Amino acid sequence: MGWRWFHEWGSPKWFYDRAGRWQRVCGFLALALLLVGTLWGLGFAPADYQQGNSYRIIYLHVPVAFLAQALYVAMAVCAIVLFVWKMKLADVGMQALAVVGFGFTVLALFSGSIWGKPTWGTYWVWDARLTSMLILGFLYLGLIGLRSAIKNPDLAGKACAILVLVGVVNLPIIKYSVEWWSALHQPASFKLTEKPAMPASMWVPLLINLLGYYLVAAYLVLASMRTVILDRERGSAWVREVIERD
Amino acid sequence: MSVEHRFLVRELKLVLARPGDFFKPMWFLILVISMVPLALSPDSKLLGEIGSAMIWVATLLALLLNADQLFRDDFVDGVLEQWLFFNRPLFWLVILKLFCHWLFYVVPLILVTPLAGMMLSVPNDVMIALLVTLLLATPALTCFSALGAALTLGTARSGILGVLVMLPLFAPVIILAAGVLTRASDGSDILPLLALLGAFSIAAATLLPLAVGVALRLNIGGSS
Repeated sequence: MGWRWFHEWGSPKWFYDRAGRWQRVCGFLALALLLVGTLWGLGFAPADYQQGNSYRIIYLHVPVAFLAQALYVAMAVCAIVLFVWKMKLADVGMQALAVVGFGFTVLALFSGSIWGKPTWGTYWVWDARLTSMLILGFLYLGLIGLRSAIKNPDLAGKACAILVLVGVVNLPIIKYSVEWWSALHQPASFKLTEKPAMPASMWVPLLINLLGYYLVAAYLVLASMRTVILDRERGSAWVREVIERD
Repeated sequence: MSVEHRFLVRELKLVLARPGDFFKPMWFLILVISMVPLALSPDSKLLGEIGSAMIWVATLLALLLNADQLFRDDFVDGVLEQWLFFNRPLFWLVILKLFCHWLFYVVPLILVTPLAGMMLSVPNDVMIALLVTLLLATPALTCFSALGAALTLGTARSGILGVLVMLPLFAPVIILAAGVLTRASDGSDILPLLALLGAFSIAAATLLPLAVGVALRLNIGGSS
């Protein structure tokens, strides 16, 4: 065993090849899960007694909002790995996660405002969850902006890592302060500690979709990590081989 | 003379050498505040209601005017490199620098806000609460904007980026301060919220200089 895995993970070529395989697996599994979860959720799950059919956007909105926050935490893990073990792959991961995370945040805000119109009668309210999601989006955007502004990639990676870590300490504070400030949004649909308030025929497809979107996120992150690796290693011989091969 | 003493004297000399940088934020604050009645309405009752929030936002923007300059001159003329050779830890020098910045640039700005309060006919008790919130909140804001300035040191002069990156993190401070002001205007107890605001500032002022130190070291080119 020993430290071999560490060197393998440090090698961009090794990761590029492996990630390609993982990416395909994630893609197929995601497709299967999303097909089952979405069809079940949209077609067969019972309608809500209050919101009727409009609640069905939950099968997109909740997983996407969940992931928007989870990806930030994943980014923080990458930042710690970058600082402690100086693993360049963690920096590549951070770069990919920032872009994918921003995408999911925008999607969460967008699907939320579509849901808000029939439910609350307006696309946007200054509610706690919406506001903290908006702030999360700005944090992601700041990371993308910071990285693109700094020319030296090593410096950019470490600067982003500092910002990610300061952000991850702040996120709970932002969340609680905003919640105290104003709350209209319904409470979280899923909590690890409690049984969901909806019947199983509603939450099982939601859970399937949640897993599905996790895999979608993994697929997107792996794809974008591979692109970043190709870009960063563009001078090396193996990249030329890969490009000629594909 | 100790390192700290020389440090403070140098910062004071720098402020005196550039009086423009000292007065510009105040000038900006008063100017923005005089635009508010023009844009809204000269009705003093209406102005009094939203005045404190307007002053808070205007002060925040005025603070950010100088934020990008925090480390840039010292970085360009090589003073930051010298910081690494002091027999003091980097984060301590960062704390000193930020304290000087707060004392020489931020506190004078806060002292001008009562004038802005009169211009918008903010009631006296709200004005006092406003002053206290600004005094308690600005150390945290200074630390956050310092981190933005330190992170963007390596970029060409794109002054606004540090602000854009850091502004979302200001949210809790603004919310707490606004909570104090709302409570002050309807006469309820503001002490619990002030305590939270102070706690946030203390946490920021003790932890963020470490992060700022790491960011500065990155840009100076030392190992992190």
